[in-house]
Order: sequence, then structure tokens, then C-alpha cells
Amino acid sequence: MVRHLFRLIWNRKRSNVLLLSEIFFSFVVLFGVATLLFNFGRNYVQPFGFRHDNVWRLTIGARQGEKMPRPQLDDVLRQVRALPGVQEITLTSFNTPFRFSTMNGDFARGSKKARGVDRYDADDRYGPLFGLKLREGRWFNASDDAATRPLAVISQDTREALFGAGETAVGKLIRSDDQFGGDAPKEYQVVGVADKVRMSGDFASATPSVWMRLAPHDTTSWESATVLVRVASGQGAPLQQRIVHTVAGLTRQWSTQVYALETDRLDKLKPTLAPLVALAVVGIFLVVNVALGLFGVLWYNISQRRAEIGLRRAVGATGAGIGRQFLGEVLVLTTLGVLAGSLLAVQFPLLGAFEIEPQVYLMAMLMATGLIYVLAAGCAWQPSRLAAGIQPAAALREE
Amino acid sequence: MENLLATSTDTRAQLPLNGPAAEETPVLQLTNIEKVYQTSTIETVALNRVNLTINRGEFVSIMGPSGCGKSTLLSLMGLLDEPTSGTIAVDGRLVTSFSDRELAAIRNLKIGFVFQSYHLINDLSVVDNVEVPLLYRPGMGGKERRKRALAALDKVGLSARTGHFPSQLSGGQRQRVAIARALAGGPEIILADEPTGNLDSVMGEEIMDLLLGLNRQDGVTIVMVTHDEHQALKTQRVVRFFDGSQVG
Repeated sequence: MVRHLFRLIWNRKRSNVLLLSEIFFSFVVLFGVATLLFNFGRNYVQPFGFRHDNVWRLTIGARQGEKMPRPQLDDVLRQVRALPGVQEITLTSFNTPFRFSTMNGDFARGSKKARGVDRYDADDRYGPLFGLKLREGRWFNASDDAATRPLAVISQDTREALFGAGETAVGKLIRSDDQFGGDAPKEYQVVGVADKVRMSGDFASATPSVWMRLAPHDTTSWESATVLVRVASGQGAPLQQRIVHTVAGLTRQWSTQVYALETDRLDKLKPTLAPLVALAVVGIFLVVNVALGLFGVLWYNISQRRAEIGLRRAVGATGAGIGRQFLGEVLVLTTLGVLAGSLLAVQFPLLGAFEIEPQVYLMAMLMATGLIYVLAAGCAWQPSRLAAGIQPAAALREE
Repeated sequence: MENLLATSTDTRAQLPLNGPAAEETPVLQLTNIEKVYQTSTIETVALNRVNLTINRGEFVSIMGPSGCGKSTLLSLMGLLDEPTSGTIAVDGRLVTSFSDRELAAIRNLKIGFVFQSYHLINDLSVVDNVEVPLLYRPGMGGKERRKRALAALDKVGLSARTGHFPSQLSGGQRQRVAIARALAGGPEIILADEPTGNLDSVMGEEIMDLLLGLNRQDGVTIVMVTHDEHQALKTQRVVRFFDGSQVG
């Protein structure tokens, strides 16, 4: 009977092609949505690799056209650190966690390369403030003041890319391949390896990272500075005001804004979810379209094929058998659409597209397949029952 | 007909009407059949107290004006519809209370249908059309189905057209395919509803000769509804109907 159904569908290919393409496109979109969902879900349950609770971000800016001398900035940090409720303070680059700003580049060691590595400026308090867990070596400390080379702490995934499985990273040199401003490649000595971190948001995967030590007593003048402050639990607006007043009390030329990292995290969620929601809406639209299409085509088929139904009943089909045949035809069509969609979908894990793990793609394919079959069977159920209930004598008389 | 079935799988033992019926047992026996179509406002009596016996090997014509209940009678004889009252016996066994599954099995094994408008499936080739009844026969494999279908097509002289589609055939050829489809299952009785009604006189004669040959040479029992007195007179017995009642 299955061969008979295939033959029937093949001979009716012209009338089935629209439905087949609808099933194909729905599968592809569902696969896309499912891939995003699984990937986001998989990332979401991973640890961030750092503690962002009770951390505030201070943006301190000099007046237009002026700069902040480092000693004066260090004085501000000391004064803020001394405020009751402040537990830790660190000077860093603008690309703090959950921000839309990123600073990345490639690092190399010999022939091995780590591409798209997130780079952060970090002082000696950055690691302790975020509670970064070190797998090898240590975080920066005062003993590094005497270092003759720039120092860096790298994340575990950067380490895997540059050193492989066995080699120890600590004490080795890595090269930054793309210096900003056209500088020559710069070498950093690794002092520690931290756990993987996910600083781009709840749904982002871990990104290879390198923290480069901000040397104290730097003579550079800054136009603006980003400072992170860990505060005691329960601190709020009064402490924020005290911080702003403290900075203003030291120099009225500088402005200060205070944000909670938690707010940055929530702000990042919206644009991350927007494409997923948009794709889901498109997916739902397509799925509804397919459902209506299936329903319509089946109703039309049944009305057009009443004589055939009558004949099949006359030659030995039961009512239930007719219902199964119509359901079977839809499931065969669905199988063809899903097979075509799977051929496309399987290219993603084979090509390693978007650096998403193959298991995620496979789970998405399974989910899309299951949904399409449930949808097809659901839509075919009622029309098939209708076909099963057609009286053969009446159907044969109509023509 | 027996030759045609010589290689078939005998599936009748699984069915309610198993085993060969005694020669003297009528193939079909209708007793006090009434068929009433009822709507909310109108009650139409299609058949009124019909008693009809079809014996093995007979070729019976049913005649009467349009609307006299001929096709309704054929539907009842083919177990495609249920009588309002009365009983139907196939090979001596009452089938009135049989389930849909049991009736479908009897239709598949014992009855072949030929319709005025052929009722071929346009999207299937000739041989695939002939195979359709055999799809519903449990345990019959694809090779056996194909063998039987080709033998049936050979019987009606269409061996050269097996791969054609119905739209590529003339009316007479389509009716031959329909007869081959009815024959493929090796039925005991063929119910033909105006089989020459859509054909010109030459083709009508060809189809009639084919049916007569099946009856005389192969012993197939045939009941034919027709408007054509000339064709009816070629059969062994003519049963006449008027306004739902048997008048002769």
C-alpha cells in the first residue's frame, strides 16, 4: 500500500508540489527557530564564569577636549573604594560585561591561532572583583610591576586554541596579531588561565578572552574611564549618589554616571531576543499557513475524489482504511518535504556553520521533524475521518 | 475464471463466507427488501418489498425507467448500502448485520463492479487501476497482484495498454479496464451498472460480447442494470422494475 501511495503521489506531483514546498520551507524555518532555541537554551544553562551581582559600572568622563591624568584617576578610585558599602573597585576598558561594545582581535602562538578573541584591559583587582576562577597560574598582582613584558591572563578556550591539550600556558608568550592604530604585533606573557566566560549576555556562548594588565602609575591621560565597583548586597541609590558626589568632590571637571551590571544584562536581553521572536513569528505564520494549506488541500481532495473513495470502498476498502489512506498520503508527502529539508539542514553541522555544536543542529532537526509530522497528522485527521465516513453508494452515484 | 485464479493465494478461509458454496445455493438472495430515503420533510420509497434470487452462473438484466430503483437495488446487492428492511444473503448467509470490515471483505472477494462512468483513477496507469481491488486483499504480494492484473487485462484484450493512463484510452477501452478490474479479484458475481450506457453502439456491442463471453465461457454470474432492451434480451433473464417495485 505504501508503494501504491508513493505512485499516486508521484503521478499527482503537479498538484502536490505547492504543498511539498510549503512543508519544506516550514521545516527549514522550524529548524532555524529550533536551532536558535536549543543554542540559546544550551548557553543559558552554562555558568557565566564570573559574578556580576552587586557590580556597578561607573563611567567617568573628562570635559570636552580635556583628559584625565592617571594619578588623579587613581585618587578617585581610592576615595570611592573607601566609601562604606564598596567592597572592591577596578579600572577596566569600556567593554564591560553585557555591553554592546566589544574589542576583539586575533592572538597567535607559533602556527596556532585564536580568532575573534575578546580583549579586556584589567588591573590587579579585576579578577577578584568578578571572582574569576583560575585554572592555572594567578591573576595580576603588584609583583608584576617589575615585569619586562606586557602580561595577560587568558581564558581556558583561548588556551585550548593556542596551546592544545597538554602544554602549560603560564610563562609562555602569545602574540596579538592585530594591534589597534597600526602598531606592530605585540607579545604578552601569560600569567594565568581563567575559566571560560560568557560576558556577552545570557544567551551568548563563551568567547575566548584575554585580559591585558593595566599597569599602575600609567602616564597615559584618559578621556574617559570605565570603573567597576562591587558593592555590598542591598546597596542602592544613596550609595550611587555618594559615589557621584565623591568624584565631583575631587574634581568638578569630571562627570560620573553609575549603572548596575544587572541593568546592562537586562538591556542586552531585548535585542538578543528580538530576532528570535521575529523568526518565531515567521515560523508560526508559515506553520499556520501549512496547516491551512494541508487542511484546504485535503478537503478539496476529498471533494474531488469522492468517486475514487466510493470505488475503493466498493472493491474492498473499509471506512477506516480510506481514512488511513488519506492520512498516509499526507504523511508520505510530509516525509518527502522533511527529507528535502533535512538535506539542507544537515549541511549546517557538516560545515560547522555559526560555530554551533552539531548536537544542537541534530536536536533542532529532530524537533522540526516531530513538529511537522504532528502538524501534518493533526491537520489530516479531520478530513481523513470525513473521507472515512463517505457512503460508497452515494459517492458512486454522484458522478 | 478458475484459470485466472489458478496461482492466487487463497485468502477466503480468513473471511466470513469461507469455502465454496454449494452449486444450488443462490449467489445472492434478496428477501422483502425495502429502501426508504428519509429527509426531514420527504419520505421516498426507492424499493418496495423486492424479492430477488440470483443463481450461480446466471446473467440477469434489470430494466426499468429512470428513478425506478435499479441502481439502488444494485447498491444493495453490492453491499454498498443497507436496506431499510428485509434481508440479503450471499452464498446462503445473511449479511445484513455484518460489520463494515466483514462487508468490505465480501465485496473484495466475491463481488466485482462495473460502472457506467468506469470510475477509473485517472492518476493511475491501466495496470495499477486493475490492481486496486487486490491492494485490499490481505497477504497478497506485489508480484501476485501484478500477475493477476496482467492476466485480467489479457482477458479483456488490453495487454498492449497496461502502461497507458485512462485519459489515453477510448470509452470502450476504459470500460474494458473496468471489467478487468472487476475480474482481477476472481469474483463470483459481477454487478454492472449500465456498462454500455456511455458507449456508442459498436463499443456497446463489444462490451456486451465480452460480458456474455465471461458468463458463458467462465461461468461468471452477472447482474446488469440497463436501459437497453436490445442488450437486455441477450441475457438469460430480465427483471423489470417500476416505481421501486418488481413488475416482471
